[in-house]
Amino acid sequence: MKIINLAWRNVFRHTRRTIITAVAISVGLAAMIYLDTMMNGVDKMASRNIIDFETSHLEIFARGYYKEENFYSLDTIIENPNFVIDELSKVRGIAVVTPRIKFQSRISNGIDELLVLGIGIDIEKEKEVFETAKSLVKGNYLKGEDDILIGEHLAKDMNLEVGSYLTVITRDRNGTYNAYDFTVAGLINTGHPLFDRNAVIMSIKTVQPLLAMQGSVTELCIKIKNENKIVSLKEEIANKVGSAYEVFTYKELSASIFEISGLKRTVQFLLALVVVIIAAVGIVNTMLMAVMERIPEIGTLKAMGFSNNDIVKMFVYEGGIIGIFGSFVGCVLGFLLSLHLSTYGLDLSSRFESINIAYPIKFIIKGSINYITIVNVFIFGIAVSLLVMFWPVRKATKLEPVEALRYV
Amino acid sequence: MIQTIDLYKDYRVGKVSVPALRGIDLKIENGEFIAIAGPSGSGKTTLMNIIGCLDVPTKGTVMLDSTNIGQLTSKEKAVLRKKEIGFVFQTFNLIPVLTAYENVEIPLILLNIPPEERKDRVIAILREVSLGEHINRKPNEMSGGQQQRVAIARALIKNPSMVLADEPTANLDSATAKEILSLMKELNKKLKTTFIFSTHDTLVIDFAERVVYLRDGKIAGEQRK
Repeated sequence: MKIINLAWRNVFRHTRRTIITAVAISVGLAAMIYLDTMMNGVDKMASRNIIDFETSHLEIFARGYYKEENFYSLDTIIENPNFVIDELSKVRGIAVVTPRIKFQSRISNGIDELLVLGIGIDIEKEKEVFETAKSLVKGNYLKGEDDILIGEHLAKDMNLEVGSYLTVITRDRNGTYNAYDFTVAGLINTGHPLFDRNAVIMSIKTVQPLLAMQGSVTELCIKIKNENKIVSLKEEIANKVGSAYEVFTYKELSASIFEISGLKRTVQFLLALVVVIIAAVGIVNTMLMAVMERIPEIGTLKAMGFSNNDIVKMFVYEGGIIGIFGSFVGCVLGFLLSLHLSTYGLDLSSRFESINIAYPIKFIIKGSINYITIVNVFIFGIAVSLLVMFWPVRKATKLEPVEALRYV
Repeated sequence: MIQTIDLYKDYRVGKVSVPALRGIDLKIENGEFIAIAGPSGSGKTTLMNIIGCLDVPTKGTVMLDSTNIGQLTSKEKAVLRKKEIGFVFQTFNLIPVLTAYENVEIPLILLNIPPEERKDRVIAILREVSLGEHINRKPNEMSGGQQQRVAIARALIKNPSMVLADEPTANLDSATAKEILSLMKELNKKLKTTFIFSTHDTLVIDFAERVVYLRDGKIAGEQRK
């Protein structure tokens, strides 16, 4: 029989009340973990989609090409990509390099026109850097110079099918209008809205003469072997290729996306905070009730020689037991829900199909569990439970034994 | 020995000051079996609480042997209660979640007595109060008399110099009350522990060896048997 045993018994005086209080904590913490898993998953999916379809790990441009406000100008391009590729072959840690040309264009199906981003790719090398070929849902990957790949959504918008004709209209480097008739070879579904709705992909060999930029490209996309070394590799590459070129990581190239991600985290944190405050109020309420209904008992204990310290211990243990219990259940529950989310995903496609959002993810959200979060949430749950014990404990220690004994 | 010198206690009820004790001079020798009798409102409980270091007088001194308890801090008073004073309450005041055994064990835990010794002493004292067979019962599984026996065992387990019993028989029928009083008297003789009762029950007054009558916060009379 020690004070902790006494606290343990006290916790089970009102089993139902204890369980309800603990469940409030559990639900709050589980929600925190689940939200974190979801946000992590969304971020990972976004990163993945940016790397797999849009930028690869690192991109090299001619200096001055990449400006936030002036996309896809053909004034500043890489005139001699082979030189750069040669230099890159000397850098260890690079897996593959593939060229791309991005350009503004209009596509026409004969009736409607739409502004899209044209992307010229090296048909073979592309497969080693990007997932474009794997995202094919209908038809075939690019083979000939007249083939074009378009997003499934774009095809729907423009009433196009595999085999349909599509005219790409653009201005070349010199400002001259040019047009080329393509045949839709295949439809892709990447989960990245740019590629699914606003871009068309064709062979770089067709695009170069169309834009009067024979032999040159707008960018070189680099896939590296170890993602963790991206920053040091960036420096090394920048040194190697010289000051005529600029190197960017995928994060720098998608800064706005990652800014949104930070904002989401803040909102997520505030939401979680509200949930936890509700749970904390539950604990305070339960423990205040415990103090109020046990006033004569506290008086008896004090009369027997319980010091205020002992009384504090007793109630803190009680709150702690509820907190540990609630936090443990919450973390297990949160983990199981997260496990489900990361295994099966959450399908939101039926709700959001027709909305064009700028966030590069598919509408099946797959979670990504962060175990450190679970540990932190567990500690956080217990810490909050103990912290809020301040009020009930103060109430109990302020009681004078005589008054407490007289209280009925 | 307990001695109160010119003891005064006023209670504040709102803005009015209500006197509960008005100059009590009382000397209680070690080993006495003494009842403090008087109608309700006469100051019995107040006097008991002050002697038991649960309350402080407005004026006057309480000496416990050579200690002036008016000069002790609340922490020191808690230590004094823990070591020297046992309480028996009208409403028994056992801890409802604990068994008879565990209730009696608490004072020894507070005194850091090692577990083996605790066990021996708890079992011995529960036998002493004839509860040897009920040590694992919780308060709500016992009769009032049995609960008060547990309370007496709890008060006595630490070998205090005095036991303060505030109307210990008020919630018991007279047969049980008699039993409890006999038990306390027996323990008083055996252990030489001072027993101080507050009561207005004639049964308790009959049992007491010395009765101090209080009225309106003053000693109105005394009777020795």
